[in-house]
Amino acid sequence: MGRYLIRRLIQAIPVLLGATFLIYVLTFWLPGDPIQALAGEKRADPLVAAMLREKYHLNDPFLAQYWNYITNVFQGDFGETFNGRQVIDLISEAFPYTLNLALVAFAIEAVVGVLAGIMAALRRGKFLDQLVLISTLMVISIPVFVTGFVLQLTLGVELKNNWGIDFFPVSFNEADGLRAYLLPAFILASTSLAYVARLTRTSLMETMRADYVRTATAKGLPRRRVVVNHALRNALIPIVTFLGADLGSLMGGAVITERIFNIHGIGGLIAQSIHLQQGTVLVGVVTLLVLVYVVANLVVDLLYAVLDPRIRYA
Amino acid sequence: MRGATSAKWVAGAVIVAMAATACSTSSDSKSAGGKTGGNITVVLGEPQHGLVGQNTAESEGAEVLNALFTGLVEYDNKTNEPKLAVAQSIETTDSKLWTIKLKDGYTFHNGEKVDAQSFVRAWNWGANQTNAAESLPFFDKIEGSEELAPGKDKTPTATELKGLKVVDEKTFTVSLKAPFSQFKTMLGYNAFYPLPKAFEADPKKFGEAPIGNGAFQMDGVWDHNKQIKVKRFDAYPAEGRAKLDGVTFKIYDNLDTAYNDLRADTLQIVDKLPVSAMASVAQEFGDRYIYKPESAVGYVGLPLATNPEAFGKVEIRKAISMSIDREAIAKTIFNGTRKPADDFISPIIPGYRKGALGEAGTYNPTKAKELFAQAGGIPGNKLELGYNADGGHKEWIEAVANQLKANLGLEVTAKPFAKFGDLLTDLGDKKYKGAFRMAWSMDYPAAENYLRPIFSKVAIENGSNYGGYVNEEFETLMANADKATDPAEGLKLYQQADDIIIKDLPYIPVFTYMSSSAYSKTVKNVEIDAQGRMDLAKVELN
Repeated sequence: MGRYLIRRLIQAIPVLLGATFLIYVLTFWLPGDPIQALAGEKRADPLVAAMLREKYHLNDPFLAQYWNYITNVFQGDFGETFNGRQVIDLISEAFPYTLNLALVAFAIEAVVGVLAGIMAALRRGKFLDQLVLISTLMVISIPVFVTGFVLQLTLGVELKNNWGIDFFPVSFNEADGLRAYLLPAFILASTSLAYVARLTRTSLMETMRADYVRTATAKGLPRRRVVVNHALRNALIPIVTFLGADLGSLMGGAVITERIFNIHGIGGLIAQSIHLQQGTVLVGVVTLLVLVYVVANLVVDLLYAVLDPRIRYA
Repeated sequence: MRGATSAKWVAGAVIVAMAATACSTSSDSKSAGGKTGGNITVVLGEPQHGLVGQNTAESEGAEVLNALFTGLVEYDNKTNEPKLAVAQSIETTDSKLWTIKLKDGYTFHNGEKVDAQSFVRAWNWGANQTNAAESLPFFDKIEGSEELAPGKDKTPTATELKGLKVVDEKTFTVSLKAPFSQFKTMLGYNAFYPLPKAFEADPKKFGEAPIGNGAFQMDGVWDHNKQIKVKRFDAYPAEGRAKLDGVTFKIYDNLDTAYNDLRADTLQIVDKLPVSAMASVAQEFGDRYIYKPESAVGYVGLPLATNPEAFGKVEIRKAISMSIDREAIAKTIFNGTRKPADDFISPIIPGYRKGALGEAGTYNPTKAKELFAQAGGIPGNKLELGYNADGGHKEWIEAVANQLKANLGLEVTAKPFAKFGDLLTDLGDKKYKGAFRMAWSMDYPAAENYLRPIFSKVAIENGSNYGGYVNEEFETLMANADKATDPAEGLKLYQQADDIIIKDLPYIPVFTYMSSSAYSKTVKNVEIDAQGRMDLAKVELN
């Protein structure tokens, strides 16, 4: 088990290096001039622009720039933006919001999705099953920004103005605490939630027909134990796989939700740094996301062993 | 600062989440009514630089600086004429040597007096190339600027502008390289704000929580990507003192969200409305919707220097101009949020003349076609129209392309560039020789600012003369206008220079921009200035 862990962690190193290199190449190839982007619609003063280019080594060949960057990273310096802010500050300011949002979304997705799936599977063909199937189909087919804006307008604006209920804030406000995360997290989770529900339903229905479940029932075990201890445990394997991979995409894929609700997290940072061609920020953020994926996948693999006694890691 | 390892972040984040859930009292920005006092929240985008006037060229930073600093002059919100603010008097006899006297009663937020030295300090810093400040070019009119900014790979030989002399605590003189009659108007720009002694110790830290001399002072430090809080400065001269207790600039990435916050009254003023709001805002906000002309002008630019074969003849340029239906573009493409341009100078600027473009600005496809044919047309009968695809220009550029196609029988292609900078680079490298979209928004409200930075010889290297237009007569008139000592006479000469541009049409003005803002019913006395900034000191709660 320990050796397995160490091997997996060592495998992560080339993944991380490769990812930073790729992102660096891609931002380097982006058309345009980041120094001009700083000045907006007017021409950057030639002298000021030349001095900034010098300062940030923008005239060096690509490999020299990358070498310069990566050696600094190994010394713990993630570089600064073209307007002099430390990349590490930017990331550590943005990261907690995205993490909170992703965790709340993850909780909604896992709890609501799995419960809905179980109920649908156990009441196959009944009203509840139909309800889950139809509502998840709707959620999957409507784009996130439509749901986002509609809910923001109805729950944030109309509810307050017409009914005096001020529960869902239009935009994120730290002082609102968990309440501020509820609506954005629900919207962020909605599509995955629908997939989780459908996956759970199918998977559980499948295992309910398995021989060992029939044996357990025949043995006279109460239905509750049959479902929870025998069927569900096995049925959860594909769901855990999906959820694990999804935690990473919840963090990196929150761009739209963060934008709608004005949450200044990782998603917004990625969008902004692509727009302003801040390669150093982009590489830093993406490295972090790669790390999240690697860890999440590792946890998923370890969870397999817990769920299925036949799987062992040496 | 938060820890640097991800393990710490996770722990930190969980604590933040727990702490946040524990206390969920809503600290709404409204407080009880009353004429003075109270707090409001207004919209902002994240500024690009530390909050120092000399290093701010974009609108978001300027918005905050406007609340924190008061310059030598300010502009009237209606007429845009400069009026004295910190300055007691700004005098000259030859438009070259200027004597500036300061009023008593202005202090910095830390109690330090606003004296002559505080202006000289700020300007010397801005003019020094080692600081690479955005406003560097604004000081090149002052004597000795070349010693502080000798150019790339050279070191400055001085740290103080030769042209600035402190006479006494309240007086200093500015000696310019050449006469410049609009100098006083220029002084309201944020590059000319003063700086206290505290700035010199650590300019970077200063930019996070600047100590200004304006009606509001910082309340804490800039909370990046979240908010900037300011509160009333009680030692500010009584007549301009702020009515509100404090203002929170809340930072938004997305104006649609800000507009929804405004509708829910969690935000009180939005001075940049999103396009999506334009259909409903007038009805929803009534007289709390402000819609007025702003300073920017949109053009079709022509590369005269690199492509004289196509655009060299003035008849061709006039024919292009006359075959553009400005009214239709303003009405159908922009829903009336732009107005047809009829002068190179914006309608809000002193010196603008209604209908100055004359025939060239009037839609007349028949005459245009005649002119075009007489001048021999464009070689190959092909025209490219370049625009940057990231700024919502596609629709109007395509409309212009279609009009040129229909009215002149030209083969016109609209050519997108990913970013405005790409267009500029390709123009500069002579890789692109077609017509291009262009816009100009002023630095300070003077007619001169709509001519020199775009059409003069010096602006080819250091400004925005992307077309490479040169006209000696224009240069002479501009120089004479600069020398004028009587502002009215100066303005007349600038208008004559404008006439030359109108005759030559190096660019083709198409529309002028309008600014649209709205505010919630909790506030009143909201005024927006020509640069699209809120005049926050005047705002009151209802």
